[in-house]
Parts: sequence; C-alpha cells; structure tokens
Amino acid sequence: MSGGNTGPVVGARGLGSFLLGIATWIITLLFFFPVFWMVLNGFKEEVDANTDPKLFFDPTLDRFSEVTEDTTGLLSFSEAFANSFWSVLISTIVVMAMAIPAAYALSIRPVEKWRDVLFFFISTKFLPIVAAILPLWIIARDAGLLNTRLVLIILYTAMNLPLAVWMLRSFFNEVPKELIEAASIDGAKISSQIRSVILPIVAPGLAATALLCVIFAWNEFFLAVQLNPVDGTTVPVWVQSNVSSRGNFLAKLSAASTLATLPVVLAGWVAQKRMIRGLAMGAIK
Amino acid sequence: MATTTPTDVIDRSEEIRRIQRKEKWRRRIPLLPALLFTIVVTQIPFLFSLYYSVTEWTIRPARPRTFNGLSNYAELVTNKFFRDALLTSVLMTVSSVLLSLLVGTGLALLLDRKVFGQGFLRTLLITPFLIMPVVASQVWSSQMLSRTFGVVNWLLETVGVDRIEFVSRYPLWSIVLVLVWQWSPFMMLIVLAGLQGQDASVLEAARVDGATSRGIFFQITLPQLRPYLELGLLLGSIYLIQVFDHVEVMTGGRGAANVPYFVYQRSIGGGWSFGQASAFSIVVVVFSIIIATFGLRVLSGLLEGEEAA
Amino acid sequence: MAEVTYKSASRIYPGSEIPAVNALDLEITDGELLVLVGPSGSGKSTALRMLAGLEFVDEGSILINGKDVTLTPPQDRDIAMVFQNYALYPGMTVAENMGFALKQQKVPKEERRRQVEEAARILDLTEYLDRKPKNLSGGQRQRVAMGRAIVRSPQVFLMDEPLSNLDAKLRVQTRTELADLQARLGVTTVYVTHDQVEAMTMGHRVAVLKDGILQQADRPRTLYSEPKNRFVAGFIGSPAMNLFDIDRVDGQLRLGSMTVPLSASTDAALESTSGTSFGFGVRPEHMTLTTEGGLPGEVIVVEELGSEAFIHVKFEHRGSDETIVVRTDGETAIDRGDFVNVTISGPTHVFAESGERIG
Repeated sequence: MSGGNTGPVVGARGLGSFLLGIATWIITLLFFFPVFWMVLNGFKEEVDANTDPKLFFDPTLDRFSEVTEDTTGLLSFSEAFANSFWSVLISTIVVMAMAIPAAYALSIRPVEKWRDVLFFFISTKFLPIVAAILPLWIIARDAGLLNTRLVLIILYTAMNLPLAVWMLRSFFNEVPKELIEAASIDGAKISSQIRSVILPIVAPGLAATALLCVIFAWNEFFLAVQLNPVDGTTVPVWVQSNVSSRGNFLAKLSAASTLATLPVVLAGWVAQKRMIRGLAMGAIK
Repeated sequence: MATTTPTDVIDRSEEIRRIQRKEKWRRRIPLLPALLFTIVVTQIPFLFSLYYSVTEWTIRPARPRTFNGLSNYAELVTNKFFRDALLTSVLMTVSSVLLSLLVGTGLALLLDRKVFGQGFLRTLLITPFLIMPVVASQVWSSQMLSRTFGVVNWLLETVGVDRIEFVSRYPLWSIVLVLVWQWSPFMMLIVLAGLQGQDASVLEAARVDGATSRGIFFQITLPQLRPYLELGLLLGSIYLIQVFDHVEVMTGGRGAANVPYFVYQRSIGGGWSFGQASAFSIVVVVFSIIIATFGLRVLSGLLEGEEAA
Repeated sequence: MAEVTYKSASRIYPGSEIPAVNALDLEITDGELLVLVGPSGSGKSTALRMLAGLEFVDEGSILINGKDVTLTPPQDRDIAMVFQNYALYPGMTVAENMGFALKQQKVPKEERRRQVEEAARILDLTEYLDRKPKNLSGGQRQRVAMGRAIVRSPQVFLMDEPLSNLDAKLRVQTRTELADLQARLGVTTVYVTHDQVEAMTMGHRVAVLKDGILQQADRPRTLYSEPKNRFVAGFIGSPAMNLFDIDRVDGQLRLGSMTVPLSASTDAALESTSGTSFGFGVRPEHMTLTTEGGLPGEVIVVEELGSEAFIHVKFEHRGSDETIVVRTDGETAIDRGDFVNVTISGPTHVFAESGERIG
C-alpha cells in the first residue's frame, strides 16, 4: 500500500497542488528542526553553542568524546549505556517470550474468554504507574532491589507486556486461518505449525513489536530515576544528570542527547510502517 | 485403533467431555505466564496503595504506620495544591491529546497526497515521537525556548519582539507544546494508516456523483477515519495522563505539577508522607478508570467490528 | 482409496440452536467424486470440514474406510484438502509447499523430491517449482494447491470451492481437467461448490443440502429428472425450472387457464392424496410455443443466446401476473410484445404442499 492514492487524478489544480507540496516540506522541516539543531549543537564548541544561533562553524567531535569519558563523581556514559542496554534487551526478550504464547492463545487458538483477557491486559495500561510507584519502591527496597538492573527489568517487562500482547495479537490475526488448517491437515503438529507456518508470516510483526518495546523501555525515565537513582541507572537519567550540571554546556548536553537518542531513532525509522500497522490496522481491520 | 464395528448408538459423551477439557487447558497454558506476571506486578502494588491510603505514614522522619480511615481522602478535598495539580493534569492531558490529534490529522492529510519525497518526509516527521522525553524536554527548554540561547527567542528579537522566558512564564503551555510536538507524529501515523486503508472506489464513486473535495472529506473520509481517531485518542490518553518526565526536566514541578508529579513530590520526591501520597494516587486511579471505561468502550467497539467482519 | 460414511453426523455451533449440519447420512464409495452443493449457509462447507476434522462432530460419527475418525485430529486422518483461497504457505517455494506434508511424515529428502517432481509433471508445474506463491498467477496457484494434495496420495481428497477464485473461462477449463485428474488417480473425492453447473458437470453423484439437511443425493441425471422435492427442482438446472403454486379444481390441476397434462403415474399418485394446493414445475425445454391452445400470454423478455433462446411469457394465474420461461431454438423469430401460446410437451413435476415430490 502506498500513499497518494486518494488525490484527484483528473482536474487536479497543478499550482495548488504544488503549493501544498511546498507547504508540506516547510512544515516537515520546521517539525524536524529541533532535532536537527540538537545534533548540530553537539558538533559545536561551547562558545558557538552558547550564543545566538549559528548555522556555520568548525565542526568538532570533542563534545562527543568529552561526554563519553569517565568522570569521577559523575555517572559515566558507558555505565549508563550498559545498564540501559541490558535492562532493555533482557526485558524485551522476556516480554516477547511471554507475549508470543499469550497472543497465540488470544488469537489463533483462542481461550474461551479471550476478549476479557485482552481487556485485562489493556486495562493495566490505564493504571497510572504513579499509583504503583510507592509500593514498588517499598517492595524493591525491602527486597534489596533498589539500584539494581533486575528491578528495571521486571518493571519494563510489566510496562511493555500489555502493549506487546495487543500488537502481536493483531499480527497473529493476520495469519489466514486456512493456512493453519492446511498445515494441520498436512500432518503438522502444533510445534511444527508454529515454526514452519506462523512464525515466518508474523516475523516482521515480531520485529516491530520488539522494537516498540525497546523504544519505550530505552526512553523510560520515571521508574529509572525513582528506583535506580545511583547505580544501575540508565541513559535517560544520565542525560538528565548532564542537564543539572549545565552552566554553559549546551554543546556537551547536545552531544549527550544525540548519543542517547540515536539507537532508538534509527530503530524507529526502520520499523515505522510496521509499528503503526500493529498498533492501528490490526485493531481496526 | 482397530476397525470398530459401527453400531448405531455409541455413547461417547464421556470421551468428548474429556477431550474438550484437555483442549481447554491446552489453550490456556500459553496464556498463563503473561497473565500471572501481569497480575502479580501490576495488581499487587495497587492493593498495597489502597491499604497505605488509609494510613498515616511518614517514613522520613520514620514514624509508625497508623490507621487513620479516610482522613487522607478528606485532606484531598481541602488541599489547594492537590486541586491545582488535578486541574493541571486535566488541562495538560486534554489539550495535548486533542491538539496532537488535530496536528497529527493535518500532517497525515498533507502526507497522504502525492508529495515529492513522501517517505523521507514521513521519516523526518515521526522522529519527535522516537526522541527520549528527557531529551525532547531539554532540547526545547534550553535550545528552542530559552531566553538566552533559544532559537525561538532569537527569531522573536530579529522581528522586534522582546525576548520571553517561555518556560517559567508559561510552564504548563510550554510542556503542552513539547507533548504535542512528540505525539502529533504518532497520531499522524495512525491517521495515515486510516487514510491509506480507505476504499478508493468509494472516493471515486463520490467524485463521479459530483461531490466536492470538501464534501468528500467531511462526509466520507472523516466518518471512515473515526475508529482510527478514537484509537489515537485512546492510546494518547493512556500515555499522556502519566506525563512525568517533561514536568521534571522542564520545570522541576514549578508552576506545572500534574497529579503524577505531585504524588512524587509528596512521597519519594521529598515529602515522604506515603499515606497521603497513596490517597492521591488512588484518586488518579479513579480518574483513570473513568477514562478507561470510555476507552474500553472504544476498544470493544473495535473488537466487535472485527468479529462481525 | 477409501469409502467415507457420515452416520447421522451433526454440527451445532456453540450459541446456536439450529444445527449447521443436521443428522447427515451419506455414503461415498471408493473412487467416487461426490459433490456437496447448496446455497450459502446450507452447511456444505461445514460438512466437508467435519470430515477434515476441522469442525467438531457434536452428534453421530464419521468413518473413513470403516474406521471411526470422529475424534481423530486432522493430522491423523490421512486426507488432503484444497482450500477456496488455496492456503499456500507464503514463505515456501512451490516445491516446499508440495513437499510439506511428506516432510511432516519424515519421508526422506530424495523420495520427497521424486514425488514432488512427479506431481509437478502431472500438473505442468515443473518450471515453477522454485517460485514463491506470490509470483504465480491464480490458475498456477490453484494447480499448486492441487499438487499439494496429490503428492500425499491420501485416502480422500477434500475440495472446498477450489475453482471459485478463477475467472469464468479458466474455471470451465479447469473443471474438466480436475474431473479427469480425479478419474485417473481414482481417489475418493468430496467436492464442495455453490455452483450447480459445476456440481452437475463434475459429480459422479451430487448431494444437495439446504439449512443443514440433506435434500437428495443422486446421480446428476436423476437429480435433474426426478428431483425429490421442490427445493431441489428449483436449485438444479439453468435456467431454473418454472415453479408455481397451483390448485386442484374438480380433480384437475389448473395453471392459468390451462389444465395441466399429467402422466398416468402422477395421476394415480394424485388420486391417493387429499388437499387442493400443490406445487407444479416444468422445465423451460419441456414446452413449445404455438399459435393456439395451451396457455395464452404475452412475451415480455427475449434472451437470445444464439443456439437457443429463452422466452419469458407473462400470463394470468389465480388472478395475478406470473412469468414462465420457455426454451426455443435460436432461429425462432419472436419479439417482445408478441402474444403466444405455451404448450407443455415434456415431463412435468408435481409437489405436495410440503414440497415433497408426488410425481
């Protein structure tokens, strides 16, 4: 499916259409400008960044090496990156490991009350995290989990699981029922049906779902700053610690921000179309 | 199985029941890990909150937990700060959801046309949604809106308007601005999915019937988009009612503390009165349930449609 | 090679009172091509899916070769099925699609390839073996679906409207190829279609279903000439049989102003029934147009098909306008607005008020 199929074919006013195209470009560039500016500032000397906006300057990578250097007393980028990396990776794997069978049981061979179960999963997303943070904090403190990766892994899993179940169910629903019937008539056991028929079809959906989980977990700040303010903290907390010590460090901050956002932005660009199909199309069509 | 001699009446009801029971469990088992995990991690803390909310409990300085009935809730009614936070929450959520839906729809309509570099433009447009909230807040407050280094202020000055410290003058609306910037792309993608899923022959039929572009949009496109707009409203509300990062990074709660932030301030953010904070959070849950009831109705409408199809 | 038996088999969907398939009794002999036909909602697909093991049998049983398979999962029934939309595995090549069932049976790779190539040769698919289904035309996909069924040499072929996604011309051509293939392989086949022409041209026997109930299962010729009830009479044949409600007046059946001619046996059967309301049917080719006598009426539509023509004649029956369709050869010069007389020249059918055939 490609866009642009709904515009009039005959009698389109050439000039109006052209102007709208120009407008689209201008609006898009304005929308993107803050991101562009952030990246640009990361390549500046502080004197160039902390002044009136400058578009032309001698680009430097010094800020990037500064922020990634280990500094005593401050959180180091490499530590935060490692914490983020492992919390996000493991929680996403655990989410997928639980969500795939669950989505299967809500879609392909549904349990009797699949709709109620799906509602339950989604309804947990309506419970504000803030309502749970106090007991979580106390439980984590009493269990000695404060400032550990484990607590974030557990909570990121809980945070992303409902969304993953919801999206995966959408993708599983797109597997034609006849294919599974054909496989079972062809003598395939359930394990073989899943491996040979279902997974190849939903693979792109699995990737998109996992990516969305990665995005939300990577960007998560509230739980990380509440439960892991010291050790085991993550990239968003590290960025924020750069903000607090700002002074005239805009270029440095920009370099830090750029590094922090880069992995997820790239992932999102790759998966953009499928992500939305899982969120929207599967639910509606 | 050997060849059975077919008799006319074979009572297999026992066997059938056994098979059906076994099948039921075979279907349930894959669901159980996810379900149990979700129940344990999301429901149990909530029950704790409910319990804390009827106690007097401050942990710094540590005092024993005592039962105090509904007085935490009574306090809510009189607490001016809480009322402010509630109002902030409502304003922030409603305005950011509606505005991002509006802007997102606009962007989607622009992108649904034949535009040079369509895919590239879409990629640029979704970027704000992918940006870490902490970073987005930081970029806007220190590089766009800042009085000294902000691009916006620099532009204002070049056209002869005095520089303004936006974030401290309009903390709530500065946050809403960033939220709309981040969530419009998300709404755009949902609406775009809806626009591209439209039945082209219906649009052609309408055009043949002499409908104007305006007429087509309001009478055909918009009704068809409705489920997508509802979905955007729903998902947007789920996430935007919980905004914390932007408040923390942009304002530190000054002038724009919403309920989540207020609960935080009252407890682990420095207040340490857990009993009272829990009561606040329970109120958030009640509000969320109201939204959820509406939201689930939307969802159930979506699922009904799926079953009818 | 196998016989298939439905013994009072019923399927009642959960939440529904009315069975989708109601106490179906049907025996299909070894090597036979039996067609299940009926309008949508008649339960024909459900009946097929019960045999496949894809639908639960709530009551009764199903036997393949004398063995009760009612509770056997589809994996263990040794059947092959061709689906309406072919259900080809999109990630696999044509060869992999066709070899999938053999792979499940742990057939060695060499043997698998040999059998796939053999089937591909029969179906003219050899040059497409390495393609993915999405790179095939509709007709080729249909053949791959057939190939997937053939490769297994199953006991029974099940086909669920396998031709309905082809265009009209290809459908007619594939119809004969398929019937020919079935005859050569000699595998018992159950074939579901809603198209009665397909049913009549392909089936050794045709079973007509309506509302989950088997109406009649017979050879096409019998179904056509001796429909058991009014529904079958109207469903089989194109254009459809002319069917009217008629009254018995003074021991005679009256259609419009005409007394209906009846065979001696029908007359005798009528004698032994009471009641005055009947159903009457006559096929378009069993009437002629004359200039006098018979049933007078006005021509309102002329369908010219070249080799033949169908004349729609309006006449008055029991005080209201009715239309009867008469087949004539293509040469007859008749125009809309002409007044003609319709004479019955062939067999007629009389049904009781309940719909049952009288004669």
